Amino acid sequence: MIPRRLQVMIVLLVLAILAMASYLVYLKRKAEAISGAPSGQPISAPLPGPPQQLTLFVASDEDDSLTTTVVSSALPSDAGQRARLALHTLILRYQQKDSPHRLGDGADVHEVYLLDPASAVVNLNAAFADKHQSGVEVEQLSVFSMVRTMKAQLPQLARVRFLVEGKSRVTLAGHVDLSDWIDVGSVVDACRELH
Amino acid sequence: MPKVRYILLRVTLALLLLAAGFAAGQRKLTVYAPQTTYQADVLVREGVDYVGLADLLEPLGRLETRVEGSRLTLVFNGAAAEFQDGHRQYRSSAGKFELSANFLIVDNRGYLPIASVPQMLPRLANLQAEFHAASRRFFVGNTQMHFSAELRHDPARLVLSFPAPVNPTSLIEKNRVRLLFRREPLVNSGPETANYGDAFVQSTTYSESPEGVELDVAVLQPARVTVGDNGRTVTVSAVAQAAAPAAAAPAATSQTPVQAGQPHAERSRPFVILDAAHGGSDNGIELAPGLEEKSVTLALARRLQRELENRGVQVVLTRTADNTLSLDQRAAAANGSHAALLVSIHAAPNGHGVRIYTPMIPARGSAQQTEPAKRGMQPWELAQQPYLQLSARAAEAMAGACTAQGLAVRSSAAPLRPLNNATLASVAVEIAPPQADPKELSAAGYQQKVAAALAAGIASLDGKLEGAQ
Repeated sequence: MIPRRLQVMIVLLVLAILAMASYLVYLKRKAEAISGAPSGQPISAPLPGPPQQLTLFVASDEDDSLTTTVVSSALPSDAGQRARLALHTLILRYQQKDSPHRLGDGADVHEVYLLDPASAVVNLNAAFADKHQSGVEVEQLSVFSMVRTMKAQLPQLARVRFLVEGKSRVTLAGHVDLSDWIDVGSVVDACRELH
Repeated sequence: MPKVRYILLRVTLALLLLAAGFAAGQRKLTVYAPQTTYQADVLVREGVDYVGLADLLEPLGRLETRVEGSRLTLVFNGAAAEFQDGHRQYRSSAGKFELSANFLIVDNRGYLPIASVPQMLPRLANLQAEFHAASRRFFVGNTQMHFSAELRHDPARLVLSFPAPVNPTSLIEKNRVRLLFRREPLVNSGPETANYGDAFVQSTTYSESPEGVELDVAVLQPARVTVGDNGRTVTVSAVAQAAAPAAAAPAATSQTPVQAGQPHAERSRPFVILDAAHGGSDNGIELAPGLEEKSVTLALARRLQRELENRGVQVVLTRTADNTLSLDQRAAAANGSHAALLVSIHAAPNGHGVRIYTPMIPARGSAQQTEPAKRGMQPWELAQQPYLQLSARAAEAMAGACTAQGLAVRSSAAPLRPLNNATLASVAVEIAPPQADPKELSAAGYQQKVAAALAAGIASLDGKLEGAQ
C-alpha cells in the first residue's frame, strides 16, 4: 500500500511536468513568432529604399586574389542586417556558374549578430560548410572575403566568429580554423599578401 | 589462496612482458626506393617479423586494398593479388605462390612476413627488392650505395669514396675508428673484413645492425676523420706525430662522438618536425580520381625528410603511416619534440605552385586577453603567439628558396591548427599542381623539386630559430 502523502506528491509532480511542458511549447511558439521565418525558408528580400553602395571582396581561386566589386542595393538601417545582406549578396555571386570561387548550392548565411560594434557572430547554414571545397587556400579565400566584406559595412569590426547552424565548428572544410574568433586586423594584413 | 597467487603471478608476468616490450622499442623497417626512403613499423607475431602491406606499398605506387572476411584483395599499380588470413598461399596474376609464414589480417590491415617481400614484389609489380635482415633494410630497385676503400700514403690515410654525399658519425677510440652510417643505403660489395697490414691501417670491418651500417677501421696510430668532396669522400688519416699526444688523449679515454657532416648534425634534438596533414579515416580532399590528399602529404613529407637529412638536418615526422591523428595530438607531438620548426604539409588541386602559411592568432576581447596574463599562463589556442616572428622568418626563408628554384610561391597568414597551438616556429605548406592537372601532384619529379626547395629554405635557418628550441 502506497502511503497517501506519497500519492499526493506523485500527482503534484505529474502536474508540474505537464505545466512545464505546456509552458515550453508556448515559449517555442513565441520564439518562432519573434524570429520570423524559420530556418530553411528563403531569406526575405531587401527592404525598399534608396539604393546605396555595397562593397564586396570577391575571391578568385585562379590567381588566389581578392578583388573589390561595388554593387548598388537598398540596405536596411540595422547594422547586423546590413552585414547579413552583404554576405548574402557575396554568397549568391559565388554560386553563379562562372564564379571564380565556387560555393555549393544552397550555401547561405542565416544571421549576423553584433555583440558590440567590434564583435560579430555569423551564423552560416549547413550547406555552406558541408558543401565547401576542402583546401587551405579555398577555405582561406572564403573566410577572408566574408570578413573583408563585413568590415566594409562595419568599420569598427575587430573580430568575427563563424558558427554553422548555430554551433561551433572545428574547421570550415578540414583546414581553416573556425573554432575561435578571427582577428579582423590580421585578416586585413594577410590580404595585402594576396594578389 | 593458491588461485589468488596464480593470478598475481600471471599479472606480474604480463606486466614484465609488457615492460620488456616497451623497453625493446618499436622495430622499424627502412625501405630505400628510387622515389623515396621511409620506415614502416614491424609487427612481431610468433617470432616472425611482419610488415603492413599498406605501410610497405603505398609510398611505392597506387595501392587499393579490400578486406572481405578473411580475404584481402589488393591492386598495386594495376596488378592484383589475393591473400587469406592464416594461410601461406597467395594468388597473383603470375600464379600461386607461398609466403614464408602465414598471412595476417589485423584490424582490417594485411600483414606480410618480411622475409617474403623480396620474392613477392617482383611477382606483383616487377620491382626488384633486396632485404638485409641484420639491419632490417629493404632496397627497392637499384638504390644500394656501394663504396670503395683505398689506402694511400704520404701521408698515410684510408680514403673511402661514395657515389652520393654521406654523413657518418665518427667514434674515435684507441686503435679504432668507427664510422656509423645511420641513414645511407650503404651496402658492402667486398669481403666483410679487409686486411691491409699497413703501419697505419690494419684492417676494415663492415657490419650491419638495426642502427645502420658500421665500418670499423683498425689503426695503429692516433687518427682523425675528415669529409670532403661535398660529402662524397671520407678520409681516415694519421694525426701528425708532433700533435699526437694532445689529440690522442681525449679519444683514448672515452668514445668521443664526432659528427663528420654539417653543423646541423651536432644537435641531439630534431631541428624540424614534419606533419603530413590528414591520414587514417581523414582522407583530406580527393585531388584527382584515386589520389587522396593524405597520400600526397605523406609522400612529400618523406621526400622532404630525405632531403633535409641529406643536408644534415635532423627530422621527425608526426606520422609515418596511414593513421589518424587529431589536431591536438599533432600539436602535442610538435611541442614535445623540442624541435625548432613545425612544418605542416597540405595539398590542393586548385591554383598552382606552393603556398606557405604562417599562423594567425585568434582575436580576444580585452578582458580575455588580460586574464591569462594575470595568472602567468598561455592559453592553448594562443600558444603560438610568442613564436610568430620566428614563424614569419621561417616562412620567408622557405618562400625565398622556392622562388630561387623557379616555383610559383605565395605566403600569407591563415587561421590554421595545429600551428596556433604550437610552441615553436610553425608554418604550413600547401602544394598545388605546377600547371593545371592535379595528377601532377603525385609526380615524383614535381614532389622532388618542391621538397628540395623547401629543404634548402629550412636548412638555411640553422641558428636563426634558436628562441624556438
